Formats: sequence, C-alpha cells, structure tokens
Amino acid sequence: MTIEQAYHTLYGGALVVLILLIGAMVIRSIIGPRSTDRIVSVNMLGTMTICSIAILSVLLDEGYLADVAMIYAMISFVAVLMMASMFVPSKPKAPELDRDKEQETAPAGESGGDRK
Amino acid sequence: MILEWIRFFVAAVLIILGLCSFGAAVLGAYRFGFVLNRMHAAGIGDTAGIFFVIASLAVARGPHMDTLKLVVLVFFLWFTSPVSTHFLGQVEYYTNPLLGRHVKQTDLPEPADSPVQAGTEERKKGDGDGTD
Repeated sequence: MTIEQAYHTLYGGALVVLILLIGAMVIRSIIGPRSTDRIVSVNMLGTMTICSIAILSVLLDEGYLADVAMIYAMISFVAVLMMASMFVPSKPKAPELDRDKEQETAPAGESGGDRK
Repeated sequence: MILEWIRFFVAAVLIILGLCSFGAAVLGAYRFGFVLNRMHAAGIGDTAGIFFVIASLAVARGPHMDTLKLVVLVFFLWFTSPVSTHFLGQVEYYTNPLLGRHVKQTDLPEPADSPVQAGTEERKKGDGDGTD
C-alpha cells in the first residue's frame, strides 16, 4: 500500500462520514420546529460542506477548490445574516419572561411603600 | 519514507478528531431540546471541527499556497461563526413567545416602561428563593 493510496482511503472515508453527517443535518433542518432551528441546521450543514470541499481540494490536488470553499463560507455567512435580519423587527419588543408574571401577581400595596 | 508515514498518521489523527467534533455537533443538535442549546452544539463544529479538519489537510499538503488559503478559511469561519450565533440568538429572543419556559434569567436590557424595572429592588428584598 503506497502512501498515495493511504491518503486516498483516509480522505475518501472522511468524505463518506461527512456525507452521513450532512444527511443527518438535512433531516434535522426538516424536523426543526421553529425557523431558528432550521437556520442553525443550515449553518452547520454549510460548515460541513466547506469541510468537504476543502478535503476534495487536497484529494484531487486542485487548488481552485480552496477558493470555492472560501466563497462558499462567505455566501453561507451572508445567507445566515439575511435570514436572521428578516425575523428581527426594527423596534423589537422584549418577550415576557416568568418574572414578569410574578410581578403582575404581586400585591399592589407594596409599590406604594417606596414613596413614603 | 518513514517520515511520510509519520505525517500520514498525524493527518489521520487530526481528521479523526475533526470528524468526532462534527459528530458531537450533530449529536448535540439532536439531543438538545432548545435552539439556544443547539447553537452551543453547532459552535463545536464551527470552531473545533473545521480547525482539526483543516489542520489535517495542512499537514497532508505541506507548505503550499493552497494551505495558506485553507488557513485563511479557518480564521474567516472563526470570526463569522460568533456573529451568526449572536444574530440567531437575537432572533430567538425577540420572536419566541414561549422563551420564559426555557430561559429563567437574562442580562439583556428590559424595555423602558417595563414593570420589572420598577419592582426590581422590592423583589430582591422580598423573595429569597435563590432566583437572583
């Protein structure tokens, strides 16, 4: 077994494992209950795709695939930022937490005590 | 020749570490029940996973111009991954109406007319249930 065959087996196996993980993240992005889950899953999927392209650039000895991986990273980042900015309102309103409900149920007489 | 095989085994160990990091990220994405926890798991793959994989490729490729491109790619992902996580956490904070079930306390600022700010000191004196 020559060293080239060893590298080929190693990175080929790594690509197969990455494909399985990418499939798992696709299923996760389908079953994610909220839109944020899907965006997180797509972000992880993009990271694994960048890894696959980088492995391919070494496996096939093609230098331009490293450039493709960099462009993919930039596009993935911009896509996540755009999808996130679609959901944030310009004047955001904070959600109700548990302590807000505690404050509403507190007796009204306590707030008058500070003024005296 | 023996140095080539040593280099191969270093590359193999590094890429197995990277794949284990990605596996941990995917496992966390399935096991955790809330999206902010899933972001924590995704951060493992975004930082440790891609670092180990690119380190393995750099060891296998040797000093070359493409290795420098891959190292730049790692630093780009290290800078952009926290920004993405920050924006996604902001989206979850502002759009999830059931956030109070998962998050008990937060350091984000309250709105100006919130009743929480007016009664903060009273609650600190009043309840000693350890929620502070």
